[in-house]
Amino acid sequence: MTEQGLEIRRSSASTWGSKTGQRVSPTVSKYIDTTTCIGCKACEAACIEWNDLRHIGSEPTGTYQTIPTLHADYWNLIRFSEHETVEGGFLWLMRKDQCMHCEDPGCLAACPAPGAIVQHENGIVDVDPARCIGCGYCLAGCPFDVPRFHEGTGKMSKCTLCVDRVTVGLEPACVKACPTGCLQFGTKDDMLELAAHRIEQLKASGFAKAALYDPPGVGGTGVVTVLAQGDHPEWYGLPSDPRVPLMTKIWKNVLRPLGVVAIFGAIAGALGHFQKYGPKLPPAERGSEKETA
Amino acid sequence: MSTAIPSPHAEPAVVVARDREDVLVGGEIVRHRRSVRIVHWAVAVTFMAALLSGMPIWTPVFGWMAFLFGGLSACRVVHPWTGVAFSIGSVLLFFQWVSRMHIEPSERAWFGRRMLEYMRYQGDDSGTGKYNGGQKILFWAVSLGMIGLLLSGAVMWFPDVFLPVLRRASYLLHDFTFILFAVAIVFHVYLGTAAEPGTFRSMTRGTVTREWARFHHPRWYREVTGDDPRDQRPG
Repeated sequence: MTEQGLEIRRSSASTWGSKTGQRVSPTVSKYIDTTTCIGCKACEAACIEWNDLRHIGSEPTGTYQTIPTLHADYWNLIRFSEHETVEGGFLWLMRKDQCMHCEDPGCLAACPAPGAIVQHENGIVDVDPARCIGCGYCLAGCPFDVPRFHEGTGKMSKCTLCVDRVTVGLEPACVKACPTGCLQFGTKDDMLELAAHRIEQLKASGFAKAALYDPPGVGGTGVVTVLAQGDHPEWYGLPSDPRVPLMTKIWKNVLRPLGVVAIFGAIAGALGHFQKYGPKLPPAERGSEKETA
Repeated sequence: MSTAIPSPHAEPAVVVARDREDVLVGGEIVRHRRSVRIVHWAVAVTFMAALLSGMPIWTPVFGWMAFLFGGLSACRVVHPWTGVAFSIGSVLLFFQWVSRMHIEPSERAWFGRRMLEYMRYQGDDSGTGKYNGGQKILFWAVSLGMIGLLLSGAVMWFPDVFLPVLRRASYLLHDFTFILFAVAIVFHVYLGTAAEPGTFRSMTRGTVTREWARFHHPRWYREVTGDDPRDQRPG
């Protein structure tokens, strides 16, 4: 939800923000190192506890994964994927699935409710349930398939990057709970530096393709992930080149303004037509009108 | 003491208009019988409700319309149901009107040149039956449009049932169809009221005057009255 202590950079379906320029808010980021994740799911439990989410239980998927996909009451999910390489090798991959807090958020672009999705000055993308109308447009705008419709509240729901904690200088709950240090939190610059260091280590250890997942197609993300198989994010279930969907852009940036012009144009056209041609009357009546005029 | 003012409902033309069409009663011709008028009004009202509850969700430019329904969240609840009601009304309307909506080969010019001539009050109307080419095109366009709005709207109604790519396509289809619809309806209402005096009563009383029919729909006039409009032209 909208945190009082944070200025707003962008707001859905509106041009307003609350930026007054008084505070310097560096862009924050969560760092995920998939190479030191042990799949313990402490982050999942911490997320549920801090955000007071309803306990939905688990749904076996045949792997260690808790549930098949993100849920309105499950914002943080460790995904387990198995991959056989062409060389006959076998990879057991884990990654943390959650809102990526895009610099260019597709959800915010798609949202029709003014202020229902905001991007805070520090880069956190958040849903304001008081303004959300539960239409689900954000889900179709998201390249990562993250927002979920909450049947109980009728609103959309997703990871807030613990904006309530971050506002008062704490790290997100998942980071707090991580026992291996594979989750870190700080300014994006610091996290990029940390990632660069870790990737060097990985390359020195034989993972030549290690890379950071910070996709430029959405302007970079507020959650950056170190991948040992950095050239194949899709092996982890991550889109290789996520972008705000083209159809969403055409819908909002082309069709919508054209439609507004067309509707006002039609009304103006009808008025103009009446001005020029007047009512259509039989010749006899038209004549009598002219006589009286 | 029979000084009672005759009720308008007792007027022969209005009584006949309850269940018959295309008949001459005194100086009036019944154009739309009562059931047709009720369905058309139901479609009109539900269309306006869907329009006013949908446009604030479409763009904040029309956000003020949301207050008519109690806010944007209320619109999100109301809009799909007004759409369902509109669709049901449109199906009824379709079957009431379709038999006279066959576009004849001579009317194909209405897709272009003839439509422009009509709007300039030019061209030859003498062959125009009960409905002109423009009305027939509107009928088929809104019938197709209704199907597009209904199908795309159903996908949009439930946020997490359909694939995202299908939902994105539905947003485009729904908005594209709605824009064409809105533009068409602006002209439909304009032509039925201010532009062509004497037309609107066909949706209230159900009748039009002989003069109106002779002027706008001469072939229909001929069929109903048996007169040749060319002989009747005054002066």
